[in-house]
Amino acid sequence: MSILFEKYGNKVWFVLLGACIIAAAVASANVFLVGHEQTFNTSRGVPWGILISTYVFLAISCSGLCMISSLGHVFGFHEFDMISRRAILLAILCLFGAFASIGMELEHPFKMFYTVLSPNLQSAIWWMGTIYGIYLCVLIVEFYALMTNNHKISNITGVVGLLFAIAAPSMLGAVFGLVLARPFWHGSFLPVYTIITAVVSGTALIILVMYFQHYVRGLEMDDTDRRVIRLLGRILRMVLFLLIFSVFWNVVMGLYGKQPGSYEPVMAMISGSLSVNFWLGEIIIGLVVPMGLLIRKDRTPFTTMLASLLAIVGMFFMRYDMTISGQLYPMRQRTDLVGGLFSYTPSVTEILIVLGCMAFSAMVYTLVERYMSLDLKSEDHS
Amino acid sequence: MKNKRYAIVLDTHRCLDCKACTVACKAENDVPLGTQNYRNWVGPEPLRGSYPNLGQSFHPSQCNQCANPPCNEVCPTSATGINADGIVTINHDRCIGCKYCMLACPYDARYYNAEEGVLDKCTFCIQRIAVGRIPACVETCPTKVRAFGDLNDPNSEVSILLSENDHRVLKPELGTKPFLFYLN
Repeated sequence: MSILFEKYGNKVWFVLLGACIIAAAVASANVFLVGHEQTFNTSRGVPWGILISTYVFLAISCSGLCMISSLGHVFGFHEFDMISRRAILLAILCLFGAFASIGMELEHPFKMFYTVLSPNLQSAIWWMGTIYGIYLCVLIVEFYALMTNNHKISNITGVVGLLFAIAAPSMLGAVFGLVLARPFWHGSFLPVYTIITAVVSGTALIILVMYFQHYVRGLEMDDTDRRVIRLLGRILRMVLFLLIFSVFWNVVMGLYGKQPGSYEPVMAMISGSLSVNFWLGEIIIGLVVPMGLLIRKDRTPFTTMLASLLAIVGMFFMRYDMTISGQLYPMRQRTDLVGGLFSYTPSVTEILIVLGCMAFSAMVYTLVERYMSLDLKSEDHS
Repeated sequence: MKNKRYAIVLDTHRCLDCKACTVACKAENDVPLGTQNYRNWVGPEPLRGSYPNLGQSFHPSQCNQCANPPCNEVCPTSATGINADGIVTINHDRCIGCKYCMLACPYDARYYNAEEGVLDKCTFCIQRIAVGRIPACVETCPTKVRAFGDLNDPNSEVSILLSENDHRVLKPELGTKPFLFYLN
């Protein structure tokens, strides 16, 4: 199987990613030629669609990767040093993918310079954008320091990067949490919940990368690799456990007392337009099955990888449901809406752009993995 | 000279749902065609009673020109602002179209103007006020649902209406301090 993959896998992988990127480029050209209004399914009722939820997914994954990477070069758990370069590289590429996704959502992304010329320091989006902007610079310096084994700089950027890795997703959660008009989002839950979910995404992604960089190159995992994957599996299990609690209480809080604006979005997830996403995507694929795989004592790197893959898919649905469900409840009484709620289904153009953003990150990562050595000298397999 | 504090007072009992206010507003403010593009609207209230004894009221509305507008706080580029006369404005040059203000507004007052790629909303026809005219929706209404004026002037029509009549604002619990008043 591994030999087969070595022979054809690379080609299939690149063809797949290339096709996604070309499709996204065509879709993007279509957006700028025809217009956002005609090509996106967002509306006055649901102005933020799948591109925003993908931005959230990728940006928070970036922070999670940085947090996991810091276990080695900030907290001194040196078994994790081996994942630092890959985690930081992937964090940078996730952030580029995230920026591409949000950039396509804006009709005039180049007007962003007004965030510098006339900043509004009360705006959560301003803080989020500024923090992620600086964070990207820190990550690039950190990656350079890690690649050149400049421990002095990498130690400094590691600590600074960790602070940003915590602040950034928390501020992203606050973008939603500070919207007073939307009871489903409003409150202190989201700025904390996003930090938990960042660790889920980051841990799951780095497990995938560790597993596949061995598998694709046909390498056997040594004891250290197996121990690190096992430890990462434990971390993932712990944060998934916390996430189950978060999801449970978020649902109970929404249902309890049937408060308008909180109740309806939760019901949309439980039994409405988002129920398949919620039960199948978030609960079964994202939480129950990964947890089932990770609590097994005899779990292997393969089952840990499988749990991570499913957890990542679940996280994507979780971001989507959180973004969309908060907008479904109308701000004024409407008699023209089915079930009294807005609806949203992403357009083909939106989906292609999402696939393109992710494929871009994956393509660049694979190319760097192929042509640069991301292994530390002590674990160089060549 | 003391600044003005413009407000609109609505007597919804007079509303016929003719939507002349929406049409006048669209024409005055170059609002693009499309069912989602409007600065003001008339919302139907649920039917009252049962057949054959039925009744229905209508609820015209627009931007509440809040004194504490959430849309102003969330705008990352300070495109949204409040002028000296209390009108919430949008600087179209600065608007990046992130739509955060659409989500923050508890009154659904904003729409995305796809022709210009910016957010837009009611400004009480600021361009008409500048030349001493009243907003188009106020002027066109056949039953005079809306009254427009300066609340800093105790003799203005709006000040008198509010002093003589019981009235309410929308979603007062949010602390937005709206300047769109509804007579009870």
